[in-house]
Amino acid sequence: MSVSRDDFSIAFRSALLQRGASQKFSILSLIVIALIIFFLDVYGFTVVKSARSFINDVVYRVTYLVSAPTRMFPNLNSGITSHFNLKKENEELKQVIENYKRLELNLEFLTNENQSLKKVLNAENISNVANLVLSKVLVDRNSPFLKSILINKGSRAGIKKGMPVTQNEYLVGRIVETNYLSSRVLLLGDLNSRIPVTLGTDGAQAILAGSGSHHTRLEYLPEGYEIEEGVSVFASGKDGVFFPGTPIGQTNDEGGVKLFVDPNQLSFVTVVLINPTKDKL
Amino acid sequence: MAKGNFLHKLYAAGPLLLLYYWSISENEANLEKVFEIFSFNLQLIIIYFWIIKRPSLMGAGHIFFVGLINDVIMSFPLGISSLSYLVVCFVGNYVRNKSVNTTIASDWFTFFIALILSNLLFFSLLSNFSDIAISYSKIGYNTFFTLFLFPVFWLLFNIYQMTFIGGQDA
Repeated sequence: MSVSRDDFSIAFRSALLQRGASQKFSILSLIVIALIIFFLDVYGFTVVKSARSFINDVVYRVTYLVSAPTRMFPNLNSGITSHFNLKKENEELKQVIENYKRLELNLEFLTNENQSLKKVLNAENISNVANLVLSKVLVDRNSPFLKSILINKGSRAGIKKGMPVTQNEYLVGRIVETNYLSSRVLLLGDLNSRIPVTLGTDGAQAILAGSGSHHTRLEYLPEGYEIEEGVSVFASGKDGVFFPGTPIGQTNDEGGVKLFVDPNQLSFVTVVLINPTKDKL
Repeated sequence: MAKGNFLHKLYAAGPLLLLYYWSISENEANLEKVFEIFSFNLQLIIIYFWIIKRPSLMGAGHIFFVGLINDVIMSFPLGISSLSYLVVCFVGNYVRNKSVNTTIASDWFTFFIALILSNLLFFSLLSNFSDIAISYSKIGYNTFFTLFLFPVFWLLFNIYQMTFIGGQDA
């Protein structure tokens, strides 16, 4: 009995404290450091906040660069297919076509980017461009727990926590974290997202809540209110964050709201530079 | 000779590189777009397998650092993923110390314990010390699929180990 207890304690201690040639730190020391960092971050020490902001900017940039090959893969794939077809048709022009193709890919990318930017600029019906910041989506890593995107503009561009984010005038979400060069946007489908909305022409008030997926649902509707399919949903602006009347989506047959903007297809978004009167997060 | 040595070092660094790449890139094991409830935590599988089989390839310092990167990318409080990964690392170390030989079944069972402890710590800290709301059903699905897919990755990593790294288990 005592031998087995000894065995247990030896294995336990060894697992926690063991160090070797490749294990420069014991697990116990790293757990203690992780706990210290965790509590410093949770209780919002200024030093940790500034450090975190700096680390965020660096890591987001690195993530964007590291993910570049996976973003380019579909283009490369179609390029290779096209290459083999052309080779069959005309061997002599292979080299020339290859060169053109490289240029074409570059041109296509630039054209698409240009069109997206134009679309955003036209659709926003800009009366005061100074109040809008156009941003590119850096990372849209789809976590099972948090629905958010990272954009390439931060406090340097005047972005603050709580500001609304739109695409083609449609509401996408709001800023929940700002760094100097980047920000995080909480999407409407996130479980933590709650937005006061107005329904259709009768002006019924409700709260649009995220469900943790890309679906949303309506809460706190007037008593006895029956949701009909196809009713437009707008931001009511009662929270002092979103402009009243910003279109969000339409009700569907399941009683939820189908968003006008597909959160999986975001490449450029616009941040509206207003000072939110309430800090929701 | 030098070239062979370099290649061997590169193959040996493979698991760690995969762990870093998976944490820092946009790729993730969350296929909600394909199948709504499907998501799993590949980092935990990588850490546990290599800690059990070849601890020399998976330094605790690297695991700690990967956790910090994951927290930044996922917007979790700093240090929480590191703690969760280190718990898996600890259970792996303990199991390795106590076992003479391991099989896929024994590894699967002990991974279940590591996964439960790690997720318990992670989500308790998150729900008590952070404002982030998390769906419990998603946690359940994530844990289930991580556990369910462990044998698949066990086999893949084992093939990689035998083919490219060689040598005996720890």
